[in-house]
Amino acid sequence: MTEQIVYSVQDFQAVCNQIMETAFSGVIVEGEVASFKENQGKYIFFDLKEGDASVGCFMMKFALRFPVKDGMKVRVRAVPKLTKWGKFSLTVQAIVPVGEGDIKKSFELLKKKLTAEGLFAPEKKRPIPANLTKIGVISSTQAAGYADFCKILNERWGGLSVSVAHTQVQGMVAADQIIKALNYFNERGEVQIIAIIRGGGSADDLAVFNDEALVRAVAASKIPVITGIGHEIDTSLCDLAADIVASTPSNVAQMLTRDKKEIINAVRNDIIRTQKLFNLRIDEKIRRNREELTQIEQNIVVKITTELTQIQSIMQRLAEMDPEKVLKRGYAILAGEIKQGGVVKITTETQNLEAEIKKIEERNDG
Amino acid sequence: MAKETINEKIEKLQNGMAWFDSEDFKLEEASAKYKDLAKLATEIESDLNELKNEINVIAEDFSK
Repeated sequence: MTEQIVYSVQDFQAVCNQIMETAFSGVIVEGEVASFKENQGKYIFFDLKEGDASVGCFMMKFALRFPVKDGMKVRVRAVPKLTKWGKFSLTVQAIVPVGEGDIKKSFELLKKKLTAEGLFAPEKKRPIPANLTKIGVISSTQAAGYADFCKILNERWGGLSVSVAHTQVQGMVAADQIIKALNYFNERGEVQIIAIIRGGGSADDLAVFNDEALVRAVAASKIPVITGIGHEIDTSLCDLAADIVASTPSNVAQMLTRDKKEIINAVRNDIIRTQKLFNLRIDEKIRRNREELTQIEQNIVVKITTELTQIQSIMQRLAEMDPEKVLKRGYAILAGEIKQGGVVKITTETQNLEAEIKKIEERNDG
Repeated sequence: MAKETINEKIEKLQNGMAWFDSEDFKLEEASAKYKDLAKLATEIESDLNELKNEINVIAEDFSK
């Protein structure tokens, strides 16, 4: 007969725990929360229930990343354990709400709390840095959203250095991985902006982006953060904490880059416009030269006309002073010494006469 | 001398264009300036078409 192993109570408990740890390392269990209570501000106790079945749960408060209330459906990652009092319980490492209604409820509770703390304050938002050349991306490199981002980025612009931190973007470990990636970029300070990217999914898939620790890490990032999570209609708490929110991963690429096709068209239009401007300036120069030439011509004509008028006036005056013209008007020219008995020469229009002066009288009517 | 970036070249192009519209415009210099701008525009277009992004996945394992 095979010899039976006899365990001490402590050894039995230790073996049981070892077997459970091996068999259920990081087991995921889903159920409804009941009897949720906090102890000494450090420990959390609750039951996970499903119908009549129930299992006790224990966790440290710092591991609680979502507001949890009784009646809420949750999923926990835990290690089963037999306590020294012989009670079976789950030591919870992570907990997330499950189902649209409870995710929404948890979202609203955490949103209210973080809003009150000022994590989403608009005045904290920073713009996309100018002259962007270095981008940090946090995403799963296998995700469709990441592929969309790269495609749009490469189509639109070049010369960027993109460092990609490959992380899970859904599931219970994703939040911690994304936080590590955020810390990685912040510690090195080599990128100008961090883009957190994840394509569309169900409320459960996107729940990680409502993780309190992750939302705080996004808000605390020294480097501006842009999010492109889910579709246009999805808004996560990470979106609210980020500096810039894009509607999708493709939209992140659009917001971070200019479209080179648009720039090429703009440059071509610039050259056409410059050519037109150049022609316009030449036409303007020709027009001005013509105007100046016309003005000079007009000035010359005016000058000549003025001179001619003056000459004509002088000539007219000269003509009026011609003695012959005076004689023609009936006057005569008298030459010689004016004295009693003197002989003077008289010239009329048609005759030359000599005459003797008989009498000289002074005029009183002149 | 450091190679000009695309943004610097675009800025240079825009400044050059503004000269044609400014009081500084001189007909004697315009033809040479226009040729320079046309060459610059071709360079910008070529740069934009040739530039590729460098996308590197970081070796760090964030799951640990």
